[in-house]
Amino acid sequence: MVRYDAIDALVAGARQEAELPPADRRRQLREALGLSRAQVARALGVGPSTVGGWENGRDPSGEVRDKYAYFLNSAREKLATLEATSPGSPQAEDDQPAASASSGPEPGPDDAEVEILHAARPCVLCGQPARHQVAGFPQHLDPAACTAAAAASARAPEPARAPEAERGQVRLRPGRQVQAGPEPDLIGDAVATALSQHGGDTEAATAALIKRAIPDAMHLLDVARKGGRYDVVAHPWLPDILRKPSARGSDQIWEARPKWARPALPAGLHQVTNLDINGAYLSALKTHLPIGQLEHSTGDVHDRRRAGVHLITPPVWEHEDVLPNPLGSREEPGPLWVTEPTLRLLLRLSGPKYQLCDRPQIIESFTSGATENLLEKFRLTLKEARDQALAEEDEVTLEYVKAMYAKFVSTMGESNYNRELYRPDWMHLIRSQAFANLWLKAHKAHEAGLEVVSVQGTDELHVIGDWRRVFTEGRAVTEVKVKDVYSLGQASADPAAAGDASD
Amino acid sequence: MPQRTIEFGKYGAAGIKGHLAVARQLDALVDYVTTPVTAPRGLHARLRYLTRTPHARAAARAAGLTVTDRTLKAWLGGARRPSRRNLGRIEDAYRTVRRHNVARYLLARLNRSGRGTRVEIHPLNQSGVDRPYQRVVEFRTLNVRRWDRIVDAWAAADDRALDDAWIQQIVDLGSQWGQYEYVTNVGFAA
Repeated sequence: MVRYDAIDALVAGARQEAELPPADRRRQLREALGLSRAQVARALGVGPSTVGGWENGRDPSGEVRDKYAYFLNSAREKLATLEATSPGSPQAEDDQPAASASSGPEPGPDDAEVEILHAARPCVLCGQPARHQVAGFPQHLDPAACTAAAAASARAPEPARAPEAERGQVRLRPGRQVQAGPEPDLIGDAVATALSQHGGDTEAATAALIKRAIPDAMHLLDVARKGGRYDVVAHPWLPDILRKPSARGSDQIWEARPKWARPALPAGLHQVTNLDINGAYLSALKTHLPIGQLEHSTGDVHDRRRAGVHLITPPVWEHEDVLPNPLGSREEPGPLWVTEPTLRLLLRLSGPKYQLCDRPQIIESFTSGATENLLEKFRLTLKEARDQALAEEDEVTLEYVKAMYAKFVSTMGESNYNRELYRPDWMHLIRSQAFANLWLKAHKAHEAGLEVVSVQGTDELHVIGDWRRVFTEGRAVTEVKVKDVYSLGQASADPAAAGDASD
Repeated sequence: MPQRTIEFGKYGAAGIKGHLAVARQLDALVDYVTTPVTAPRGLHARLRYLTRTPHARAAARAAGLTVTDRTLKAWLGGARRPSRRNLGRIEDAYRTVRRHNVARYLLARLNRSGRGTRVEIHPLNQSGVDRPYQRVVEFRTLNVRRWDRIVDAWAAADDRALDDAWIQQIVDLGSQWGQYEYVTNVGFAA
């Protein structure tokens, strides 16, 4: 049986579709009100890209079309009233006829979209009391009112809106003003909270922040991996070489920590500069880290897409008098377990460009597919916070960031202070990367004609000569800091030679 | 049960039962006396732990250290050395009592007032399996919210109950859970 009544109801229900202005006009209207696509989309219950599509010629249909038409009409009327209050604006003329021709309903208190609030509630955009709400969100309908209210309040205005407050007129600025879903500033929030808890006492706040640096770093890592391609595997199976034999013992990995002093100095008295590499471990977070479980392989094959630890027969190092051995101060002969950064450094030095040593022989390896980007967002977040703290001379944040990355690296292995992450392999790799970076800096100085006197630990480089030609002085991670300047060597009997050397 | 592995290792796969890996990880989270019981220092530390209070003495007795107070006193004072068999008993009793004492706090940390703990399950090692028999078994993670049965079984050193409690949790992995009966490692923090 054919249900004619249903068809009748359907035909009766069909309505005239609401009229919409042309596509470019839609965009103009939105931008003239200073609304972002995301804001409009949220109010209409669609995605921001959908609104973008409508502004580029696509047409909505159904209920959303009515809503959108209503938004555009309201926007037009709003603009018309605003232009009327600020004469001299070029928009006023071409908006007036459009507003009078519009067929949309007047905004009133009984509307679903824009409601007038009888008691002022804080605006979702600026936090100041507002008397309107759109789709349940109390807000100022006019961004200028938002700005004015914010500027008038004791709270410092956000930097994005500050120029408007200075202009102080009702000219509406096009473009987006509110970022949709900004990322939380974990570091800034933590520092602000600690400072307010300790009543502005910077020392107490710093101590409190350093105490919570490890869990905070782990939380930051979690947040930084959101949407990431790879999971951070925190508790993989580990080969025995990576396990500590006892509580005090160490595993079998050789991290190649440099501890080198030049055996013989050139004659004369020298001014030695002790340079400090800034944030060595922070920069070393960018290294090829194995993602998954380490797999065993044998044979002298190096796969650049994998990373891990390798048992190698090290090459002979013949430049001990001018440059440190990239393997550090290893006295024991024979094969040793090194990490990926050390092996890559050795392979590079044995390559055609450097030709400083023979190729190391790989005997066996524990590797896994690797990526350099695993900790990249984490590193960048910390680096940006550090840069900002340096620019603002904010010692609390600086100490906090330093504690975060330093403790993150030192406790990511078998530490009881951080049980969330159990990756001794990563710890060794990151440390070795820091040592390899330092070695490369020493090599750069040597190539530039400076005399490298000593390479110690993670970040210490002692050089003779005009190092400012090679390195930039500063506190950024790409720059170096002078720790100390001292004299070394015997002043020769010839006063002219001594004068030359001390320059 | 069709999901359980019948002949594990027939084609060369390597791994351990999931519940053994869980027990291993729980043991790793507990701090035991590190010095072995055979060293005088380790023996003394264990005996002191087991005899410090009347409650501890009762717990040690319940855990199988059924020697007289006179003997305990002689061991503690160093007048006598326990026999090898008794050393084994002391070690067992110590681990049982320690697990029992720690269980309450470990449980609270693992349950995290209902939020649970994220567990990583590392699949079995197929490197010894012929290529045609190898299967794709992925690394999986699971949030275990209720640890009560697992921790109870572990504290009581009840292997079978621990196995049951663990299987009950990994069933949540979906229809593939049988592939995770044997694992290389189970990792979680507390």
